[in-house]
Amino acid sequence: MSAPAAITVENLARTYQGGYQALKGVTFSVAAGEFAAIMGPSGCGKSTLLNILGLLDRPTGGTYRLEGALTAGLGDAELTALRRARIGFVFQAFNLLPRLSALENVALPMAYAGAAVAPRLERARALLDRVGLGRKGEHTPLQLSGGERQRVGIARALANKPALLLADEPTGNLDSTSSAEILALFKELNAEGTTIVLVTHDPAIGASAQRVLRVKDGLLA
Amino acid sequence: MKIAELGRSALQEIGAHRTRSAMTALSLSIGIAAMLFTFSQTAGMMKRYDDALRLAGPGRLVISPRRGYAGKGLSPGLTFSDAREIRLRYPELYMVSPRNSHYGLDGRLDSFKNGDLVGRGITPEWAKRDWVYTMRGRMLNERDLAESARVCVLVEAGSWIKKPFWAKYWPEQALTKHISRRDPLGRRILLGEHLFTVVGVLKEPPKDLDPRWFRTWGGSGQVLVPLTTLQRSLMPRYQKNPDVVEEIAVDTGDAETAAAYLRRIKVLLLARHRGEEDFEIKDYREIMQSALKQMKEFVVSIMIIGLVAILASGIGIMNVTLATIFSRVKEIGIRRALGATRADIIWQFTSEAMMLGVLGGAGARRSASSASGRSRRARSACSRSARYTWAARC
Ligand SMILES: Nc1ncnc2c1ncn2[C@@H]1O[C@H](COP(=O)(O)OP(=O)(O)O)[C@@H](O)[C@H]1O
Ligand SMILES: [Mg+2]
Repeated sequence: MSAPAAITVENLARTYQGGYQALKGVTFSVAAGEFAAIMGPSGCGKSTLLNILGLLDRPTGGTYRLEGALTAGLGDAELTALRRARIGFVFQAFNLLPRLSALENVALPMAYAGAAVAPRLERARALLDRVGLGRKGEHTPLQLSGGERQRVGIARALANKPALLLADEPTGNLDSTSSAEILALFKELNAEGTTIVLVTHDPAIGASAQRVLRVKDGLLA
Repeated sequence: MKIAELGRSALQEIGAHRTRSAMTALSLSIGIAAMLFTFSQTAGMMKRYDDALRLAGPGRLVISPRRGYAGKGLSPGLTFSDAREIRLRYPELYMVSPRNSHYGLDGRLDSFKNGDLVGRGITPEWAKRDWVYTMRGRMLNERDLAESARVCVLVEAGSWIKKPFWAKYWPEQALTKHISRRDPLGRRILLGEHLFTVVGVLKEPPKDLDPRWFRTWGGSGQVLVPLTTLQRSLMPRYQKNPDVVEEIAVDTGDAETAAAYLRRIKVLLLARHRGEEDFEIKDYREIMQSALKQMKEFVVSIMIIGLVAILASGIGIMNVTLATIFSRVKEIGIRRALGATRADIIWQFTSEAMMLGVLGGAGARRSASSASGRSRRARSACSRSARYTWAARC
């Protein structure tokens, strides 16, 4: 193998406070440039897994290597830096900041990465163009439809040119037309080389993924 | 993130919750204003006492008849002669100023007629301390005293720079009212049964500036005459010994020597009074210090109340801040997912709080300065006038 896998997890486990085992030891890897879907019944631990992959949560057991590097020993600041530089997040509930405009929402990750105002607004505008919202940069999230919101969310996830795009049920709140648009966007991004791991209940999306990881009761089926 | 951006996002957040922000800033304002006000008042009070002490003289002793003392008939009482003896024995004293007063004095000047004047018999040394006046004409001199001259100096009560609401219940002195209409200088005034020449008019400083204006009872008007003249011409005939005085004020000129002179004068007076201790000598600083101590206790209790109020409002602010943070847990999560460090988040909330604090503080400064501005102006004017007269006297 030439390049390391984007994601390698071994025996990954997560036990919540109170003793609930959401993940009971999962092992898999996702190659760079792959498009993987995680599917499974509600409550089986998909979000838990994705949060760990996104460095928002730490596993209580097992190891997680991001691009070949172990994440276990890293401190909060290092995890944040890694997350900021390498990972983009797309949420089911969009999670846009309601008081910021679409443009400002997209520019926010670049602000945290330390980019100057002018270049980051320019890039945010380009990203909005890219997701087909070039004209709606000044709208606030409340003034956008669900599908548009999610496109802003994706543009925001792409802000710092992540190598890995994680999406937790990105079409869960959308109608079928919007879902299809979002799926097309993901496919395009994947074709350009972005590794994508997304959680979904949508069989259409599952079908278009290169690989489907099925989770059940905290284990890979 | 840069400071400018933090500031901008803080302002945005404050703008998004105007009512809450305004209330927080207001309560901060009130707390800080209360603090500033208390501090400025305390500082002002200390300064007043300093000023009063400086005006009174550093080594001030107050000799007065002992209250409630039943005489054995051996002592003539506290007299002008006592004061002369002290002056003779201790010429190095800066001031020996005996004083007696005749209350309920009849006076008549043109159309002005009053039976409630206060005649004060003094010596020229009276002017050496506590000088806060503006003088027109001349002060009483040694010759007036030696000749028991029928001359007098009228005291014009201080006016108000800014009249407080209760001042209208404080009657204006009749004499002051009269002489403000017609200049009495050089004219004749009938005091008791004798005609006096008005040789001077002393104008008191404005009441706002004079911390002592309410301490001396001026009746319907105060008239200064030579002590010898008071004894000879104004004291009622039933007075057993016209030589008695109500007070002898002494200033050694130096705080260090006050205690020593207090002992010496006491020995001297005891001998003159044939062993009767029918007088008391007080160190003015002790009088002031006990007053100051009382004031301090008062201030401390005020401060405690203020602190409790600030504490209570502080807890309220903390509560609101915590509620704000808790209500924004989700936002914090989102920002963290987008790459914000913990420091970024903490700075975000801190800059909001700081901005509210600055706004609150600015509000507090405005209200506190308008509240204390008057007393500050008054204070500075007071110390200015004190310095002035000090320079003129020394
Ligand atoms: N913070 C938490 N503390 C305790 N239990 C949790 C927590 N988050 C999720 N769980 C539980 O872990 C299980 C898996 O949750 P999740 O990963 O969100 O499932 P899903 O596959 O639907 O995304 C659920 O039973 C959920 O109740
Ligand atoms: Mg989930």
